[in-house]
Amino acid sequence: MVVTTNNNLVQNTTHKVVIPFYVYAALSFLAATILLFLSDNAFTQHYFHPRTLAITHTMALGWGTMIILGASHQLVPVLIEAKLFSNFLACLSFAFAGLGIPLLVYSFFTFQLNWVAQTGAILVNAAIICYLINLAVSISQSKKENVHAVFVFTASVWLLITTVIGLLLLCNFTESILPKDSLHYLSLHAHIGIVGWFLLLVIGVGSRLIPMFLISKYDNRKELWLIYFLVNGSLISFIVLFFSGVDDFLYVLPLASTLLALVLFAKYCYKAYQQRIRKQVDEQVKISLLSVAMMLLPIVLLLVMIVLLVFSFANAKLALAYGFSIFFGWLTAIILGMTFKTLPFIVWNKVYHNRAGKGKTPNPKDLFSESVFNKMGIAYLSGFCLFLTGVLLSSAIALQIASVLLLITAVLYNFNVLKMLLHKPLIK
Amino acid sequence: MNEVITNNQEKCDQALAALHHVIDPEIGLNIVDLGLLYQIDFDEDNKIIFVSMTLTTQFCPMGDSIRSNAGKAMQHTFPEYTIDIALVFDPPWSQERISEQGQQFLNR
Repeated sequence: MVVTTNNNLVQNTTHKVVIPFYVYAALSFLAATILLFLSDNAFTQHYFHPRTLAITHTMALGWGTMIILGASHQLVPVLIEAKLFSNFLACLSFAFAGLGIPLLVYSFFTFQLNWVAQTGAILVNAAIICYLINLAVSISQSKKENVHAVFVFTASVWLLITTVIGLLLLCNFTESILPKDSLHYLSLHAHIGIVGWFLLLVIGVGSRLIPMFLISKYDNRKELWLIYFLVNGSLISFIVLFFSGVDDFLYVLPLASTLLALVLFAKYCYKAYQQRIRKQVDEQVKISLLSVAMMLLPIVLLLVMIVLLVFSFANAKLALAYGFSIFFGWLTAIILGMTFKTLPFIVWNKVYHNRAGKGKTPNPKDLFSESVFNKMGIAYLSGFCLFLTGVLLSSAIALQIASVLLLITAVLYNFNVLKMLLHKPLIK
Repeated sequence: MNEVITNNQEKCDQALAALHHVIDPEIGLNIVDLGLLYQIDFDEDNKIIFVSMTLTTQFCPMGDSIRSNAGKAMQHTFPEYTIDIALVFDPPWSQERISEQGQQFLNR
């Protein structure tokens, strides 16, 4: 008989809660690249274009947010060393978001921002509220203070602020409820989402996962707290500047604060890399590390845009390139890498946990095809660089070829996700 | 280099030979060479083996499976004993606990 005492291990969240988020995200990525393929000419026009809005929301909500929600239901209990408060709330969050996102995307695509879009936005808000309640109660039950969990919670609060503003902007299209038109508030909505939700969360979770997967003992809480205050300070100062209507040049201040946070995070990852125990670094971690470097690209583009704005020269191409480099750049790169470091463990635990000790089990990384992953990486990087070039040069042919490459990326990604999910046990 | 504390060296060696087959799936190295085992004590009167072990990180998603595999490997070698496995994180695992063979494997 085997008994366990002094059980310091946290119970994993059931795969039944987590896997649907991954599947939804994978299909959203495919849908977004199909939309991109069908709408590549939209990227030679202004960024406030129905198809651009549809693609952006498919990427931000369907792809980025859904996979992060799924992964965080799995990771947060590990970070806070306590069980997830409610699986039911997690399922409810999935159902609300799963229904709301297509309604929103369809409305943007057809540019009929009526009750359908508003219903979609209300459902997305309901999903985030369920997630936030689940997170808050889970964290309150934890005995340990954890900087990574604080990052995740704060990011989720910013997410709710983003989606509430999104709902207000939609309502403002049909009834004038805000002092100015919705386009005026678009940068506020976008930046709270990008910096508050995605950036804060990626740093909070990445600073835990990257050293863990590198098997590195590097840890620097002080630096993480500094990054936390820099990112939040940057966002709060941005909001203050936005509503005070001051000179465009002052936006350099929040930008500098974000840039400093990014440099510190890149340094954190580099230190973890230097102090790694395992010398060989797998491709999944490499692409995640690359995404950290890719964070700097949108910052450079934003800096150029601010400088141009000071001289009263707004550049729509740069704004498109900026958005593209965030959603199809660093965010997609880190998801492509981290999916194949987290989902194999979830599937492995589902399939082999009760078969432990009954024979030789495959390693989690054997559950997907490494060669398909490498081809996906090549298609992705070439597609991303070419699309960005196409946007900046307004080259239709570059955009067409690049959108095919990104579509191939999504097909290969979905192939590998499906391969993992359909994995049959090699031992009885 | 790791040292496993024990009250019965001969049986401890048998246990370590069995645990040599338990692999950390992420790293691909067995838990003995990784230095995850702290103590293996044998209570001959009550036929209980107390195993005290750790993980490379408390956040390890495979922790439950590694512990379960260790229990089954021990049970196979000592069928007449009850295996009591405790996971401890104090002292935390450090890379100094990796054996020379383990170091060679990780430096490949």
